[in-house]
Amino acid sequence: MRVLGKLLVAIYGLAVYAFIFLPVVVLVLFSLQATSFPIPPFTGPSLRWYEAVLGDTRLTSALVNSVMVAVISSALAVGLGFLSAWGFARYHLPRAALLRGLITLPLTVSYLIIGMGILILFNTAGIPKSLAAAGIGHVVINLPLCFAIIYSQMGDNQVNLERAARDLGAPEWKVLFLISVPVMWPAIFASFFLSMTFSWDEFVISFLLTRFDTTLPVEIWNLLRSGLNPRTNAIGSLVFGVSVVLAILFELILLRRNRA
Amino acid sequence: MNKLANLKNIARAAGLGSAALALISASPALAKDLNALIWCDHADPALLQPFEEANGIKVNVKEFEGTGAGLAIVEQSQPGDWDVMVIDSIDIPRGVEKGLFEPLPEDQLPFGDLFAEVKMDGATMVDGKRYGITEKFGYNTIGFNNTKVDPADMQSMASLTDDKYMGRIAIYDYYLPVIGMAAMSIGKKTAELTEADLPAIKDVLLKMKANAKLVGEVVASQTALATGEVDILVGGGEWVTAGLAKENPALDFSIPQEGAVLWSQSLAMFADSENKEMALKFIQYIMSPEGQARLATSSCYWGMPANTKAALSDDEKKALRFDEQPEFLARAQSYPSPDADLDKKMQDVWTEMLQAQ
Amino acid sequence: MLPFVAMGVLSFMQHGGDGSASFDNYRQFFDNPSYWRAMVNSLEVTLTVTAISVLLAYPFAWILAEVVPLRLQRLALMLAVLPFWTSYVVRSYSWLLVLSENGVVNKALTGSGLLSDPVQLANSRAGTVIGFVHFFVMLLTLTIFANLKQLSPSYRKAAADLGAGPLRTFLHVILPLTLPGIMVGAFLTFVLCIGDYITPQILGGNNELLMPQLIMMQIGRRGDFPLASALAIILMVVVTIAYLFCARWLKLERS
Repeated sequence: MRVLGKLLVAIYGLAVYAFIFLPVVVLVLFSLQATSFPIPPFTGPSLRWYEAVLGDTRLTSALVNSVMVAVISSALAVGLGFLSAWGFARYHLPRAALLRGLITLPLTVSYLIIGMGILILFNTAGIPKSLAAAGIGHVVINLPLCFAIIYSQMGDNQVNLERAARDLGAPEWKVLFLISVPVMWPAIFASFFLSMTFSWDEFVISFLLTRFDTTLPVEIWNLLRSGLNPRTNAIGSLVFGVSVVLAILFELILLRRNRA
Repeated sequence: MNKLANLKNIARAAGLGSAALALISASPALAKDLNALIWCDHADPALLQPFEEANGIKVNVKEFEGTGAGLAIVEQSQPGDWDVMVIDSIDIPRGVEKGLFEPLPEDQLPFGDLFAEVKMDGATMVDGKRYGITEKFGYNTIGFNNTKVDPADMQSMASLTDDKYMGRIAIYDYYLPVIGMAAMSIGKKTAELTEADLPAIKDVLLKMKANAKLVGEVVASQTALATGEVDILVGGGEWVTAGLAKENPALDFSIPQEGAVLWSQSLAMFADSENKEMALKFIQYIMSPEGQARLATSSCYWGMPANTKAALSDDEKKALRFDEQPEFLARAQSYPSPDADLDKKMQDVWTEMLQAQ
Repeated sequence: MLPFVAMGVLSFMQHGGDGSASFDNYRQFFDNPSYWRAMVNSLEVTLTVTAISVLLAYPFAWILAEVVPLRLQRLALMLAVLPFWTSYVVRSYSWLLVLSENGVVNKALTGSGLLSDPVQLANSRAGTVIGFVHFFVMLLTLTIFANLKQLSPSYRKAAADLGAGPLRTFLHVILPLTLPGIMVGAFLTFVLCIGDYITPQILGGNNELLMPQLIMMQIGRRGDFPLASALAIILMVVVTIAYLFCARWLKLERS
């Protein structure tokens, strides 16, 4: 019975991973396609599309732009989201429910509307279209998400811990950074990664708020106008490869530090 | 005290972030740049580089799709942001109405070399002034895999609603050309469509839909055709098949006896451009025999060059069926160009067709 | 806030009109059955996706939080998120190839003799749902995982000390305590799913329209922003109702 249960658990876990990875495997496979159409039958392997991607300065600079916008806007969104969630959970603000509603409102609106709104706003204010504008747009869409996730996880557990720390004489900033943040790491981690994922893939806002220097999804959209192309698979695979390497490095560093 | 600490943290985080964001975005466009609002075929480096090198200028491009989206981008920009634009020939009057475009000097452009049928005076001229020049055209017709269907059947639009091809059809998801094709299949002229024709057109569309596996934009329908999920693409044409001819010679298109819908794209210059001289040079380059050949075979999609003197190779001419054009053009009809009211009604018919089970 | 006010005002205008206000855009939605149908389709798809995603994600999150050894947990989570760092659009087209008639899934099903004829997965509602579930299983796993990790192990010990078996502990202690995480995740799923344009556009084959597709269609060529705004506001109202529904649940659990 025990063994059977363990087996079932393992099978289930692996099945979900398989489901999650299925399209990515196909994606990577056809990035190695030798002919210029990424559909079966497989004709590779060939690295010609990787060469094409790395040789295209529009794509490589869009890649760099995307990384910067994603990292900076996610960090901002998580930071602001955490602070506002912390504020709402710890202090009794007047009209808290209404304010909470307002913070989460952008969640209910499609990105297109948010993008149009920001565009009209910036245009009347004379702020030119730029990557920074797109970054601000991403903070706007990710902040409510971070807030919702972090706020939902602030329970009595943390309040007790924080109270204990305060009773022991810790100043407020120490409570925040040494108690609240570490205790909340799963939520912070989850919201940061979600923000990164959303910002990384966001198209409409980036499209509307940038001009010529733009992010990767916009360039990919441009590429896809012409129909399927193994180059897009190659970009997707490259990005995937880079994130795997980063994740492993990150994990190694953390493991080492934990041991020391 | 608590709130103050809180505020300071927010301020610090915001300050750092925006400084960093400002740094990345600090790459102002050079004054000599040419800013073009374009379709994807113009983004091909093989097309732009020769012009950039010859004139020592950088061409910045922003791609868009759909006239509504394009005009919205222009409206939400500062004056002088854009120099030239690619636009559906039939939509030029919409831009002129908004006062966006500058008349083009006819004597400095090769109007005499264009295929006569694609000059489209009705659309590119407003009040006797020329606001656009047709650069590329083609057909929304029947695209198919000639190893899987009987090519003789593809000479008649009736096959599209025939049970024989049940579940083997994809429909290109753009209401104007496909409504145009539906109209032609029942003997109506695309230029004379009125609201009274819509019920009959809707019947044809619903029959096509019952035969169709999907209704898709470029990539989805092209993928379906290439993977063998479907064998026929309603609304397809050389713009889908010619570029793939080298890899998959089975993909072909026909102009059935009822005719086909002629699509055409134009170049226009912005009235508030600060770089009109260079903008004109760009248009001249695109319209030159070399520019025309590069545009016709652009990596994004192929299409017929508007200039009869385009410097295409024999293979390219064959893929585009360059020599059969006079006969094709004689049978083709213009894109439907409904007024705003009829346009909305056509789109609603299309919506109904999509929702039909 | 300004974007929403601007949109609200816009929704009462007419495309190409003189700027006078009316309810025409809203009336169109209620008068035209094919517009209605888009909302019904959207709700059906979104509710299906949300339900399937929660059912798939909960056990998975539980495995990650309870079965996987502590020091591998972060790695396991990352593994679950990484595939989503490939481009959304490109990934969706990958699904199209996976699900198509000659794709991996159909080949496996027919090859193993489970099916005699390939099923139509791509270009159908099934395709849209699979594409959505793929993304939202990951999202829900993250939120539920975060919630499970917040639970103090003492709850379980207490339940065990009081004589509850694993099943009862789960049903009466763990499940209610993780409800906030589920609800937040489900709400996010609902909102993001009902507002998404790309997945139905690529995988649905336009055999039916969902709301975001209908909205985009108004903008594409005709640039009818007023009608698009009105449709967006109707969608927003539906989402707000969902929000109120979820908020009530969350509060119930808190008190």
